Amino acid sequence: MGITTVRVTNRPGLRDPAGEDVLYEIRHALGIAPVEHVRTARVYRFEGISEKDARLLAEKLLAEDVFEVYTINKPVITDAASVVEVAYRPGVMNPEAASLSKSARDLGVTGLAAAASSREYAFYGGGVTAADIETILDRLLVNPTVETVMRAEPDTLLISGRPGETKIIPIRQMDDAALMDLSRDKLFLNLEEMRLIRDYFISRRRDATDCEIETLAQTWSEHCGHKTFKAELVVNGRKKEPLLKRLQQATARAGHPLVLSAFVDNSGVMEFYHGWAVCGKVETHNSPSAIEPYGGAMTGSGGVFRDIMGTGQGAKVIASTDMFCFAPPDIKPEAIPPGCLHPHYLLRRVVAGVRDYGNRMGIPTNNGSVHFHRDFRAKPTVIVGAYGLLPVSRAQKGRAQPGDLVVVIGGRTGRDGIHGATFSSGEMTHRTTEVNASAVQIGHPIEEKRTLDALLAAAEEGLIRAVTDCGAGGFASAVGEMGAETGVEVRLEQAPLKYQGLSPWEIWLSESQERMVLAVAPENLDRVLAICRGLNVEATVLGAFAAHRRLLVTWHGTVVCDLEMEFLHHGLPRRRMEACWQPPEEAAAPLTTLPANWTEAYGRVMAHLNVCSKEPIVRMYDHGVQGTNGLPPFSGLHGDGPNDAVLLTPLPGRPEAVVISHGLNPVLNRSDPYYGGLWAAAEAVSNAVAAGANPEEMVLIDNFIWPFPDPESLGALDRAVDACVDFVDTTGMPFISGKDSLSSTYRGADGTVIKIPPVLCVSAFGRVPDINRTVSADFKGAGNKITLVGKRTVSEMGGSVYCDLYGQPGGSPPRIDLSVLTGVLTAVHRAIAAGKVLACHDISEGGLAAALAEMCFGGGLGAAISIPAAENPVHFLFNETAGCFLVETAPDTDPAALFAGVPHQMLGTTVAGDRISAAGLFSVSLTALKRAWQEPMARIFGSMRAGNEGRGE
Amino acid sequence: MMKKPRVCVLRTDGTNCDRETARAFDLAGGAPQMVHVNQLRTGEEKLAAYQIMVIPGGFSYGDDVHSGKVLAVELTSFLKEQLQEFVTAGKPLLGICNGFQVLVRTGLLPGGRTDEISAALMANDSGRFECRWIELLVENNHCLFTRGLAGRVLSFQAAHGEGKFFAREDTLAAIEQAGQVVFRYAGAGGGPAGNYPDNPNGSLHAIAGICNPGGTVLGLMPHPERFVERTQHPNWRRGETGEPHGLAIFRNAVHYAREI
Repeated sequence: MGITTVRVTNRPGLRDPAGEDVLYEIRHALGIAPVEHVRTARVYRFEGISEKDARLLAEKLLAEDVFEVYTINKPVITDAASVVEVAYRPGVMNPEAASLSKSARDLGVTGLAAAASSREYAFYGGGVTAADIETILDRLLVNPTVETVMRAEPDTLLISGRPGETKIIPIRQMDDAALMDLSRDKLFLNLEEMRLIRDYFISRRRDATDCEIETLAQTWSEHCGHKTFKAELVVNGRKKEPLLKRLQQATARAGHPLVLSAFVDNSGVMEFYHGWAVCGKVETHNSPSAIEPYGGAMTGSGGVFRDIMGTGQGAKVIASTDMFCFAPPDIKPEAIPPGCLHPHYLLRRVVAGVRDYGNRMGIPTNNGSVHFHRDFRAKPTVIVGAYGLLPVSRAQKGRAQPGDLVVVIGGRTGRDGIHGATFSSGEMTHRTTEVNASAVQIGHPIEEKRTLDALLAAAEEGLIRAVTDCGAGGFASAVGEMGAETGVEVRLEQAPLKYQGLSPWEIWLSESQERMVLAVAPENLDRVLAICRGLNVEATVLGAFAAHRRLLVTWHGTVVCDLEMEFLHHGLPRRRMEACWQPPEEAAAPLTTLPANWTEAYGRVMAHLNVCSKEPIVRMYDHGVQGTNGLPPFSGLHGDGPNDAVLLTPLPGRPEAVVISHGLNPVLNRSDPYYGGLWAAAEAVSNAVAAGANPEEMVLIDNFIWPFPDPESLGALDRAVDACVDFVDTTGMPFISGKDSLSSTYRGADGTVIKIPPVLCVSAFGRVPDINRTVSADFKGAGNKITLVGKRTVSEMGGSVYCDLYGQPGGSPPRIDLSVLTGVLTAVHRAIAAGKVLACHDISEGGLAAALAEMCFGGGLGAAISIPAAENPVHFLFNETAGCFLVETAPDTDPAALFAGVPHQMLGTTVAGDRISAAGLFSVSLTALKRAWQEPMARIFGSMRAGNEGRGE
Repeated sequence: MMKKPRVCVLRTDGTNCDRETARAFDLAGGAPQMVHVNQLRTGEEKLAAYQIMVIPGGFSYGDDVHSGKVLAVELTSFLKEQLQEFVTAGKPLLGICNGFQVLVRTGLLPGGRTDEISAALMANDSGRFECRWIELLVENNHCLFTRGLAGRVLSFQAAHGEGKFFAREDTLAAIEQAGQVVFRYAGAGGGPAGNYPDNPNGSLHAIAGICNPGGTVLGLMPHPERFVERTQHPNWRRGETGEPHGLAIFRNAVHYAREI
């Protein structure tokens, strides 16, 4: 039997929000006027069942008669100017297909060989041209990496193919040129590394298999090996310790009593309360997100969640964070370099990816930020974090024992993420020609959710000896690392596959998502398998850990990889890298001109992309799931006043809270990597302290997203690491996890080189003994005192939003004074813990003025402040020194006593009404400021459309 | 001590509000137990052993095809008799968010029978998932879950992408006539909210939750289980406290179950 196609659409006259969304984009992002209306239909294809059964599925499953109509094997929308169908490319696994098969089985339909779903778009409007449709497809609806326009009915939905043979690489005979040819294509190793591999096989008196070469390249890659961070550095001719070693030594010096695990596991772990621990990990997913933002962001989220799941002997994921950097969404399309996607599209699709993964897995996304700078036009920065809860007793990284079984649980293995893989011509069918060789995967959050459920159930019963996730490098990386101390034997033919036709090395290296690898003692195997079966999770024994310290992989009895663990994990020599560093030139003094129109200036700052409200994004993330949220991203009278950090109470009925926050400032990272680095760290911890966290009970995570480490970029990176180390040494807050991504350089075919701004993102998390001793940022009442706490040199306007808007030189960037920072943080924390603070907000982009306005928005209150006569009002209002706070206290509290010993100054009072006024300078309307502040993101994400038909009669 | 009614918290692939829902029943005096749909299918667990059942929020089977649809098909294919018996016995059955979608797609709401689907939860008019606190007006009716709450305005978090309550005019009229509307989205002043943002999804008649004709089966889109502790409200620091608004709903179910 062939394919039966069911098409479903809403009954005529009913709204179609998906179509309206496309129309909004067509009008606002593409400016195509003739399209008047867009409708959508869902298309389902079933192979191997009768038309009668297809009709049964249509009526019982696919189309609800209350609001939908369907057709079989014919169009369902017939009155449009044009109808196009967009489908995933063959080989891109659509998670919905499995649900279709399940429901068909549940309904008693037999013989279903394959199912697929896709979507049709119908465009209405007299003047719509074929060129318009092509533009819409090209720019809006089809990402050719994963999607395609269906121009004809497919003959089959099945993917077929025969596995390729394991190839022998005659590496022993290769000269330097041949070695580099081999590397250049796909291995990305340098000549010294390639020679080492050649010499290894010469000493073994045999040639290498493709599987062995790929395994070595994977393990020795920058991504997994962190060669730059481990390299011996020579900065301006002077030898310095490796970057990673310096960070780790600073952590060791800090000797923080709450740290349980730093830099050794899939995430860093600190002690919580009552026998529990919390762990945190932050990852970047820039390159995949640049190519396919939805899938890239999804797999980024999925990957960092698995890092948490794979910590200790398994952790529950309790929070997700997201930090993005894009070019301005209104940038002209011609300014986007060839091969890069427009930020308007990227932003919306990345947000959708993070949304769909976190929401569906039931992980609250509570903390994040979006930053804009023109130089992200060649590549966005996409940072995703996750946090977990686990018992202290299972918080240490597990060690597989010889004899333990290698068990893979979760998703199946496909050709996902494999570089440069191609079908050889002999294996092609008419379908496989279309199969994208290195398909970007569409994440499957439900697979990961049930895998998490199974993992936690097994962990609670103490059945897991060690666990890690399959991320970059797939089985090769996960199994190779778990067996590094023991040795391991793997039978690759056991691995469950999504489809046939994978070569052994492809199975070994595949980066298919949603897989975890467990080390399970043989006596626990049956129980682990039973738990997995009960939760619909596939679990398979791939092999066993050994005592021979070899990585031995076979495929139906044939050895495809046999490497000594010593060579694999310790054979890579430490690199020696040159860096040069020139201190930034002394910037011109900042201009001191005052704005002619204060209302306009204040409004422009609030509307700046790096200041404006990100609420439309935040609202798309479920931040309430798990029921733990004690300080949401937005609160206040109208629920739209932003907070600085998130507080979660993960132990039901208990007041102890986890605090999570972060800081980054790409503009400052570039202008001065040292002070930009300090700023990021100070901002991260200030956000947490503003909510009431104790700086003595917090730890940090670093993410360096840097251009390719040429000497100049490496010099800047070295300075940023210096900043981190100085921060740890002064404040005592250690880094316990981190990641580097050193590929933020774009090289165009025409020789154009764009260095994407370096980003140091610092994330902070910690513990708070009592949620009741924490505060939000919204002002609580009129007549209360407003005090500025912290040390600023207000003329340091470099990198500020105000100077960006007015094209003025800013002078030096804010140079955070570490000698006073700890005192300020401690004073603010103590004041909040003593119950003396009603609201607190830290100062960041937009300066004191933006922080004050946000506190007013939240409280529905105005403010009357005075600016000291000696200060330049522009500097005073718009300086962006992190580590400073605005604090609201009751009229009978004396701020001078509360903040004695640290820099502080009385600013004024909260007032009823709609105005912020500065004595003798200005009085601006909060309504106008709020409108300016909310407008930019509302425009990008479409004004929320009203449901006028809602009332009915 | 009074015996705690046993609460079946139904789980399957993609259920993700199960723990906080169990916690809410725990606080209300029930004895919640997680039950995977597989355990009901194999017979390892039976609904008859429980006095209360709840289908929690989440994305069952990824909300593929329609939200809650794949689970609804599974329930009506394999557990139809058990479910029908549970409802006929007058035992409280609650569906929250995805659970509401499931109940509507099995036909148990609004009609109370698994053979006819007469309403739907469609994609929000806004076209997107949205997570926001909204106000709900409690109607005066016979629903066991809202005893003593009639006329009150409750604050709950809504977090969904497919929550627009839709039915044909005659069905809507019948639901209204039979007093099956339990919750409506409320606007300023507490009246029913026709428009966004007070009505977050474009629901007809501002309907946020309905019950079966007997008042024993309740489904609603917003999340009462996310407001059973004071600090779960976004503005608890502003003194907007009192008893957390969700508790009464779970307590009513527990009290009712003790009586039957």
